[in-house]
Amino acid sequence: MGLQRQVLSLYRQALRVSRDKGGEPVARIVRKEFEEFRHVDRKNFSRIEYLLRKGSKQLETLKMSSVKKITTDAS
Amino acid sequence: MQQYSVGTEKKPVVEKEFLIYRWDPENEDKPKYESYKVDLNSCGPMMLDVLLKIKDEQDSTLALRRSCREGICGSCAMNIDGTNGLACLTRVEKDVSKVSRVAPLPHMFVVKDLVVDMSNFYAQYKSIKPYLRKTTPPEPGKENLQSKEDRAKLDGLYECILCACCSTSCPSYWWASDKYLGPAVLLNAYRWIIDSRDDFTEQRLADLDDQYKLYRCHTINNCTAVCPKHLQPSVAISKIKQLVAAKGEGDVATTA
Repeated sequence: MGLQRQVLSLYRQALRVSRDKGGEPVARIVRKEFEEFRHVDRKNFSRIEYLLRKGSKQLETLKMSSVKKITTDAS
Repeated sequence: MQQYSVGTEKKPVVEKEFLIYRWDPENEDKPKYESYKVDLNSCGPMMLDVLLKIKDEQDSTLALRRSCREGICGSCAMNIDGTNGLACLTRVEKDVSKVSRVAPLPHMFVVKDLVVDMSNFYAQYKSIKPYLRKTTPPEPGKENLQSKEDRAKLDGLYECILCACCSTSCPSYWWASDKYLGPAVLLNAYRWIIDSRDDFTEQRLADLDDQYKLYRCHTINNCTAVCPKHLQPSVAISKIKQLVAAKGEGDVATTA
């Protein structure tokens, strides 16, 4: 249960930060990043924890005041 | 012009098996030890030579950190046959009947194969403010002067290459790496505490005076045993403990 809450908390934080960092396009990128790992088994704790750590680090980078927005190649 | 040839007789093939920890975050597999066989007679003597030979000839997906190949940068720190050390300084045991096991630094989050996440370690190093702090600047045109005796106090401390071999060999650091600073960081804290040019000694000692940062050291001494630069973090830590205790007594004396 704790793990689920951590994932949701990360998701919410990321969406909140995306508001000041380029708005809706950034939020879409955040959602895509999370969707990519939707299939991970809920029992696979080590994988989930690894993804949480990775996501938190990416969020920390995004939070930096020097970061204005993020974009991807729309292909 | 003289021609040089590298040996006239063929060296026999001496094959040794290496079990190397592999884990790829991209695929969903669990970590495992993969077996590689290397001819020691066509390879350099150090573990790093073996790893690079494997990466070069057998499996280029093997991820490892390395840079100076001479034991000064600290990049190739890993766990070889149960002991932490630098791959570039660890000689391969010639006995081919024994299998060698190579693993990443213990109790660290693994990024891939032998590469570990050092962010916490670096953040802890940053937290001790590893730079000179003065209350008054030196005389204009002059350096911060220091006697030879005072400079000698820094010997055995400034040589730390931040390889993290010691901290990751400390069971106390394994169980409390978020709050206990670990031998490497404490050694470096001591380096700044006893630097005669630094004016913030009391502040530095006070910063270490809590339940976890310093006092999780229970003199296990793995740190001194594994340091690739032959430094002694355990000695430095006990000196810090003495200084903090002395400062504590001084505080009591003034308030009593």
